[in-house]
Amino acid sequence: MIFGHFLLGVNEANAFILGCEETKEAWLIDAGEYDPRFGRFLDKYGLTLTGILVTHGHWDHTDGLAECVAAFKAKVYSNLDTMAGVASTQLGHGDVIHIGRIEGHIVETPGHTPDGISLIVPGMVFTGDALFNGSVGGTGTPADHDRQLQAIRDHIFSLPVETQVHVGHGPSTTVGIEKQYNPFFV
Amino acid sequence: MQESDRIADVEQGPEQRAHPEWQPGADLSGQQLDGLDLSGMRLSGANLRGVHLQSANLKGTWLDGANLTGANLAGADLQFAVLGGAILDGASFAGANMHSVNLVGARGTRVDFSKANLYYARPGNAVLHECIFRQANIQRAIFRRADLRGSDFTGAQGQANFDRANKEGVRE
Repeated sequence: MIFGHFLLGVNEANAFILGCEETKEAWLIDAGEYDPRFGRFLDKYGLTLTGILVTHGHWDHTDGLAECVAAFKAKVYSNLDTMAGVASTQLGHGDVIHIGRIEGHIVETPGHTPDGISLIVPGMVFTGDALFNGSVGGTGTPADHDRQLQAIRDHIFSLPVETQVHVGHGPSTTVGIEKQYNPFFV
Repeated sequence: MQESDRIADVEQGPEQRAHPEWQPGADLSGQQLDGLDLSGMRLSGANLRGVHLQSANLKGTWLDGANLTGANLAGADLQFAVLGGAILDGASFAGANMHSVNLVGARGTRVDFSKANLYYARPGNAVLHECIFRQANIQRAIFRRADLRGSDFTGAQGQANFDRANKEGVRE
């Protein structure tokens, strides 16, 4: 698996590229802006971007979506059928995706937004703004907060402790670190 | 890989697996690794006691649960490195770039963060007694519930979040 992390200029948001070493297919995870480094990273590893997964529909994760689609001719995947004005293949809980030979599983992690999803691939999970290092994403109501924490407990904290957690803002972490130290859970 | 070749902030490609001896749980204690590129590597739980990593490239390196007692990482690039739950007693990060570093639950006494860039760093729930943050950049760092007893923040720059942190005896 080939992995790239990009700190974007928009609201300190993160974006990631995951690539299959065998088939050279790759997906972008979140597109807060179009960053020319995406293309250079793909070229460096000989990858072709075939998909863009949007973890949730906030501007700092979608503002570059249309430009990325135009640049890479990649399909968009999210929890909605239209994401930031771009046609999207709708993914829901339990759906399986393939990035070349990398199998990914979608889990719904709503709360920060109703459409929040996380992507689980071998050894990694991408949580968008549901879970951060030492924190969680903001929510509008106590019910949304509870829903978000429960989804994290059920679908993220059930993964092996060494699983890398790649988040929408800030540093990456592991399931083990967050289970032991995240003040929203301990 | 040279820094100038880097495209993403953190990369994990085939080159990160080029050193099979550098793996989670590895024993690199006391080694002279100044200036080396260990970016993106997984060294979780490694024994790095007394290791010399001055000015090393540790961007996005996984050091969670590692033992860095007495290690010298002065001037190192630790942006987005993961040091959650690491042991840092007596380690030096003086002048290091620790932008967006994960320090959640890290533990250490007399750790030197003087003049380090801790912008957007996450030391929540860390236990950092008598540590030196003199002239560090702590803008947007989140020390939520950290135990910072006896630490020295003299001349530190920026606004950090100290929500429910223990600042007993802290100098500012």
